[in-house]
Order: sequence, then C-alpha cells, then structure tokens
Amino acid sequence: MLHCSNERPWAPRGCVTDVSAAPAPDLTPSRPVYDGSLGELYGIYLRHLALMVLTLGWSRFWGRTRLRRYLWSHLSILGDRFEYRGRGRELLFGFLFVLVLLALWFGLIWALWYFRLREHPVPGLSVTNMFSVSLALLGLPLAFVGQYAGLRYKLTRTRWRGIRAGLDGSAWGYGMRATFLTFINAMTGQLMLPLVSVGLARPRIANARVGTLHFDFAGRAGDIYGRYIGYYFLNILMWVVAIAVVAVAIGGTFSDLDTKSEEFTKLFSEPSLRTLVLAAAIGFAAYLLFGLLILPVRCWWQAYLFRYLVSRTRAGNVLFASAISTWQMWGFLVLNYLIVVLTLGLGWPLVMHRTLRLVAQELWIYGAPNGASIQQPADHGPGYGEGLLDMFDVTGF
Amino acid sequence: MAVLPTNANPAPSPIQVPMRTRYYDGVTAEALDVRVRASTIDLTISRADNSTVVARWPVTDLIVLGDTEHEAVPAVAPRGSDARLVIEDPEQRRQLAQTVPALERLARPRPSAGGRIALFGSALVIVIGLFWGGVEYGSEAVAPLVPHVLQAKLGEAVRDELVDGKEMCLGNAGLVAINRLANDLGKAAGHPHKITVNVVKGGPVNAFTLPGDILVFYSDLITQAKDSSQVAGVLAHEIGHAVHYHPIKGLTRQFGVDVLLHSLTGGFSDIGTLTSGGGLLLALRNGRAFEREADATGVELLEKLGVRADGVASFFEQLMGKETSDAAKMLGMWSSHPPTAERILATKRPSTGRPAFTEAEWAALRSVCGETLRDPSSTRTPKDPPTTVRPRPR
Repeated sequence: MLHCSNERPWAPRGCVTDVSAAPAPDLTPSRPVYDGSLGELYGIYLRHLALMVLTLGWSRFWGRTRLRRYLWSHLSILGDRFEYRGRGRELLFGFLFVLVLLALWFGLIWALWYFRLREHPVPGLSVTNMFSVSLALLGLPLAFVGQYAGLRYKLTRTRWRGIRAGLDGSAWGYGMRATFLTFINAMTGQLMLPLVSVGLARPRIANARVGTLHFDFAGRAGDIYGRYIGYYFLNILMWVVAIAVVAVAIGGTFSDLDTKSEEFTKLFSEPSLRTLVLAAAIGFAAYLLFGLLILPVRCWWQAYLFRYLVSRTRAGNVLFASAISTWQMWGFLVLNYLIVVLTLGLGWPLVMHRTLRLVAQELWIYGAPNGASIQQPADHGPGYGEGLLDMFDVTGF
Repeated sequence: MAVLPTNANPAPSPIQVPMRTRYYDGVTAEALDVRVRASTIDLTISRADNSTVVARWPVTDLIVLGDTEHEAVPAVAPRGSDARLVIEDPEQRRQLAQTVPALERLARPRPSAGGRIALFGSALVIVIGLFWGGVEYGSEAVAPLVPHVLQAKLGEAVRDELVDGKEMCLGNAGLVAINRLANDLGKAAGHPHKITVNVVKGGPVNAFTLPGDILVFYSDLITQAKDSSQVAGVLAHEIGHAVHYHPIKGLTRQFGVDVLLHSLTGGFSDIGTLTSGGGLLLALRNGRAFEREADATGVELLEKLGVRADGVASFFEQLMGKETSDAAKMLGMWSSHPPTAERILATKRPSTGRPAFTEAEWAALRSVCGETLRDPSSTRTPKDPPTTVRPRPR
C-alpha cells in the first residue's frame, strides 16, 4: 500500500511503501523528571548574590556554575541524571579573552583616529564615539555568535550517562545567518518570522548531539506560515483595539480629572500613598489591557511554534512532542518576566525552578536510544566559554 | 586508566555493601543496573542481573564528582575517567563512604535549605549594608587620596567633551582675576591644589566643577550678574565643591552604586532599567547634599577672607525672580539641587565686607570674552590679541 502524505514529518518525502511487516519501533513515552527544591536553589542563589557584592561581580562565573550544577543534576531523562562539568575559571577565561579582543579593537580604532583623523577631525566624532558606534553595529551579530558559542560551551559541559553532549557548526556562520534573517524580518514588517524561527532553530537542533548521537530537525517554514499569517493580522487587530481603548480611557480620565498640572507634578515629585495607589492602578489597567488583548495572542503563537519545533525534532529513534498550552506559555513568557522584574532579580531561582518544572511536565519523549551505539565523542569542546555572551547578551543561567 | 579488567583477582576480605545503582562505562551511553562490593582496596562493580563484573576501581583512584550541596547525587568516578557510578540511595552512599574514607563527601548530609537561606540571606543583607556604608563614607576618605594628576586628566577630558564646539574666553586679565580669587578661596579652605577656572563663551547661566579642581564658568553668568559679589558667590560655591572633592566623590559613589545594583540584579536588562532609575535617584540625592555643603562652605570662605558674602543668596534671588516657580522644589526628589528658597535662606548674609574684585579686575572679567559686557562704550583695541579661541581638536 502506498502513502502519499505530508502528515508524518519523519517519513521520506513523496510516496512510500507501507512495510507492515517491519517490527514497530519502541515508542514508550516518558517525560524528564525534575526533583529540585526551590529552597535549596535559593540557598545557592543568596550565597551567589552575597559573593557577587563582596567581589564586585567577579564571582559570577563560579556562582553561575554552581547554579547550573544544581539544576542539571536535578533533571533526569529515562532515569539518568544530567551532569554539568563546567568550571568557573573557564567562564572567567572566556570573559577575559573577549576583554582582550575588545582592547585590541579599541587600539585599532584609536590608531585609525590618531594617524588619520586627528589632524582632520570630523565634528562630533571622537575616538570614544567611534568605538561606541562600532560596538553598537557589531553588537547584534556578536550577540548571536555569543548565543551559539555559549550553547556549544554549555552542551560540551553537559553529560548524560557519562557521555558529553556537543554542538557542531560555526558560531560565526550562525551569527551571520541570524543577523541576516533578523534584518530581513525587520525590513518586511515581521512577515518573515516563521522563516527566521525555523531557520535559526535548525542549526541549533540539527548540529546538537549527545556523544555520537545527532539530533535531526525536519521543520519547514511553509508548515507554519498559514497559522502565522492568521496570528499576524489578529495581532494587528488587537493592537488597534488596545490603542483605541487607551485613547478613550485617557481622554475620559483627563476630562474628568480636572487636576491642575502643579498637583500632578507634586504627585510624582513628593511621592505619597496616593502616588503609589495611582501608579499601581495605572500599571494594573495597562496589564489588564495588554494581558487580555495582546499577550494571549502572542502566547498562543509561541506555544504553537514551540510544539511545532519540538515535534519536528528527533534523536535517532527517539521522537519528541510537547503539549504546551497557551496558558503555560503565558506563565513561561509573561509571568516569569514579571517575577524577575518586579522582584528586581530576586525571583530568578523561582523562574528557573518554574521553567524546569514546565520542561518536566510538557516535554514528552517517545522511545529510548540504544545506549550501546552512542559513543563518547573524541573532542572535549572549547577550553573556555561564554565570553561574548557575557559581554554582548543579557542571559540568565 | 583506573578501570581494572573484569577478570582481575578479587580484593582480599571484601566488605559486602549490597546496593543497586547505575554504572556508565564512559565509552558508550549504555546504562547498567549494578551491584557494588567495596573493600579498603577496591570497588568491584558487577551487573545486577547476572553478576558479571564490569569494572574494578582501586580506591586510591576514586573521586567524588561534586558535592551534596549542588549535586542531587554526586557521582563516583575513577580519576581521569569518563566512567561513572551513581548511587541514588543516600543510605547506601553513606555505607560506601564509611567503607572507603576517600569517598567521605558522599556521606555528607544535604545542607538544610532553611538554614542556608537564613545564613546567606543575612550575609547578603550585611554585605549590602557594609558595601553601602563603604560607598557612602569610604568615598569621603578615598576621594582626597586619588592622585591629583589622575583627577586632573579626567577633569580635562570631561571639560573637552563638554565644551566641544564652543568658544573659550581667553581675556588674560579677566582670567587672572577670577583665578586669583579662586585660589585665594582655595587657600582659605586649606586646599592643597591649584584651582583652574575656564570661561566658556555663551550660556547657560551656570558654572560647574570637574575633578582635578577644574572649574568652568559660562560667560552669560558673568554677563547677567548684577555685581561682582554674585560672581564671587557662585565662584565660592564652586570652590566649595572643589575643596570637598565632590566631583570625585560623586563619581566614586555612582560607580559603587552601579556595581552594587548590577551585582544584585545579574545584569538583566529590564531590571537594569529599573535599577538605573534607582541609581539616578541616589545620585540626585547625593547631588542635593553636595549643593548644600558647597553653599555653606562658599559663604564661610568668603566671610573668612572678609569679602562680601551676600552674592550667593542674591544670585539665587535673581534666578528666582526670573522663574514663575521654584523648579527644584517642584521636582522634589528628581531635582539635583535643593529648593532655591531653601538655599537663599541658608546663604543669606548682609552686604558687608570688601568687594571680591578690584574695579580693574571686575572690568577685565566682564570683558574676558573680548567685549565689554553690558557696556557698549568699552571696546577692544586693535592691538589686543584675539580673546576667544575654539578648543583644540581632540
């Protein structure tokens, strides 16, 4: 019997013969298990913060490493825990390496200014301006390069069943690709987002491996474009409604208030309980408006995208799936963000804890790899890591 | 390689520690449920299903990867090997550690979360308090110790940046006059460094002090001053900043607060936005305290020299007269300066004492930018050198 369907992403393209006689692959479902405790995580985090203040931030490399060791070892797949074997000093060397590169870059800019521009200065273009502008231009591509190199570092320091994970491919290639796609997407009013999402997920997934077991990715932007177009225009509609509501509300409030400008200024120059109540009311109203109109639509799309990317990923005979809902994505994207910002960073452990619990709850693994066929890789990965990430990107842990 | 062949002789007088656990050989990702026999000499690992020995590790080679604070289950491994032994049951780990002292870390009890939160939470509060105190009071002690050459270099760099594209007034006699008074006031305060006053052509009606005892006056301030006592009052106020090392103290505090906030928030960008608002408020609070101190010192120094000290208050009154409201008061905590009315009250002095400048000095100062300010009858002779110059290109 012939099947000609695109429903099964892992089937060969076109029509295939149904080999009913072949033994059905083992697709026993399982989920990761996270058994970390929020209290223990806070114990580690508070120590990290105290050391950060004592060392003026230089202990962050070791603090980050301790947190990762905790999180990794409390997450297991198929009964085997992950290990994180990175060292704080490797992160320090990565940071210092990038610092040296920046110093060389500054030296180059200074030399250009000294030998070329000093005698014929361009108004408003000082050596520090040239350096800042060049960094701002390089910042975006370098942040992408840093993200990929940082992922490579983290994976090479991650072990499962004693086997090192890894990430092949060029970080610079990824940086150029990501910069190009981001630029194109911005130029087309975000209409290329599916292409960007799939195009950037592909190298991150398809180049990843555990030992000699490579991941595969079968996603195609075309699969998700239809739903994206729906989301795109729904999003615009929601913005129009939100802006209209805000305009009506502001118009009404100002005509009702009859507050003198001096009183209004006093409200914020000498904060009182009234100021706090007013600020809280405005914040709550804005939150309600965006929380009801904009964010659910965005979370709906993000949840769909995540489910799609996961379902198109496999590792050998192991398949993956996720049933993450819009509401769960809201908790991941919006609530986690609010927790971190409103607690001025003290909520980080809670966010990490919530994230790993979500992974454990919503990532389904079908089948198990043949462990004996997965070999320890020969390479140990880079000797240092995350310098670019530390310098150009704002990341968690 | 620490892993012994499986057919090696068993260790003498083994202590039986029956335990089911996971073994990874470090070569493949195969996971085996195993039993472990520990002796004082080696660790024998055999398959749980058929008792085949899969590894024998000499205890002298054994290490524990990680610790019980960070690892859910610290793995046991031979030194330098990728192989792992993972024992989930804490009681079995404790028994193994008793048999093999090198694995003592396996038996350490898991630290209590509540205890650690209390310990490190308190430590964090104390450290923040100490850091804060260090920044607040340490800057007082450290600022005068910063080499003056460095302060001056920093001040010159900032001055060049600020006056970029503007004309500097170079009327020699005027500059001599204002620098003379500045250094007299500095000496009266016991300030050990030379003070340099620069005059920039134009506005706003303002003056500021930079690190390294560099003062910058805008000529509009001199133009619009009612008399020399007002210029002397503003100058004395700026000298107040210089002798208290306010610029370098402000920078030190700003840097300290930035480091503290950055350390506490981990550099998360949106928190950074919020905390930089907090940092700004603290800087403004510092600014108001510095202004009050400079006002008081300025008046005190003028009185010490026997010079008319009513210029500070009268200058503020003149400013107030031009404004419909007290902007600093309205801005409250968002203002870098105290309310002007409060400053007038604090600096009000009788108009007694000798003038700050001689008539000739005052005239020279008013023409420091090459024209007789407010006095159309006074003109520059053709022989005079040009009295304004653009700052050198940087």
